[in-house]
Amino acid sequence: MSEELQNEDQQEELVIDAKQSYSEKEKADIFDSEFMIHVDAMYSFAYRLTFDEDDAKDLVQDTYLKAFRFINSFERGTNAKAWLFRILKNSFINNFRKKSKQPAQVDYNEVEQYYNSEDAGKQITTDLRVETVQHMIGDEISGALNAIPVDFRTVIILSDLEGFTYEEMSKILDIPIGTVRSRLHRARNLLKEKLAVYAKEMGYAKKK
Amino acid sequence: MQKRNKEMGEFSNWFKQTFKNCYCEKGHLIDEERFEQLVQLVLDGEADEQSKKIFEEKISTCVKSSFTYEKEKKIQEQIKSKLCAHQSELPSDLIQTIRKSVNL
Repeated sequence: MSEELQNEDQQEELVIDAKQSYSEKEKADIFDSEFMIHVDAMYSFAYRLTFDEDDAKDLVQDTYLKAFRFINSFERGTNAKAWLFRILKNSFINNFRKKSKQPAQVDYNEVEQYYNSEDAGKQITTDLRVETVQHMIGDEISGALNAIPVDFRTVIILSDLEGFTYEEMSKILDIPIGTVRSRLHRARNLLKEKLAVYAKEMGYAKKK
Repeated sequence: MQKRNKEMGEFSNWFKQTFKNCYCEKGHLIDEERFEQLVQLVLDGEADEQSKKIFEEKISTCVKSSFTYEKEKKIQEQIKSKLCAHQSELPSDLIQTIRKSVNL
């Protein structure tokens, strides 16, 4: 089954799994007190996925619209942030990924296969020094993060910026926890590799 | 819950085995790449108590392990803090647009 079809199924799940029957007042209350408090994080995630302010706004708006429509499948007091991020991720794959303005992506499967190969470890070990990262500004690190394939970028955002646990990430991304573990490790290596290359180009690597 | 416990048990075994494989018979760190992966799991708070204990015992006695751990920790901290400080600003009209779209 294609990833897109799977995601359509997951949105169907949201309807099928509707276990609650909230009143209009309760819906409004949940929306305000449990959903809207994450709008900053949602927008930041959307922007890091799309690289475009308008697309990010549309993506967040679409996510909140879906969250409201399927609010009966959300159990009050559970992890609203993870629930919203899951909807946003699925919306991104279904509606935005194809028209995303980011540069041509490396084929994800190809990258994953490469990193699963026996000798990949030695090739991706980078001599990235702490001092090198200390010299860099947020813009440069963000640039390096934006340059890695979206599936790898996503796990870094979810873990390091949003503080999700591996279990939560597994649910948001619909992948086994073991895959979260290995993908995050590979993602961080890719990021370090980008930073090391960038530092070399900028002459940071020579500084002590 | 049972599935989760089973997964945790498997993960714990995998962690211990992988940790063991990072060292030679004399106890010297020989696989830094694999060790870095374990360091990340510990830093992310994903290692169980037993695995964490084994890990901490080793880094308190092995200079190379301790160096790798500290280096990875500092790099992660730097990257995290700089990325967190470099977040895009929320467009001023977005909250209003969302609320309007759901008739709130």
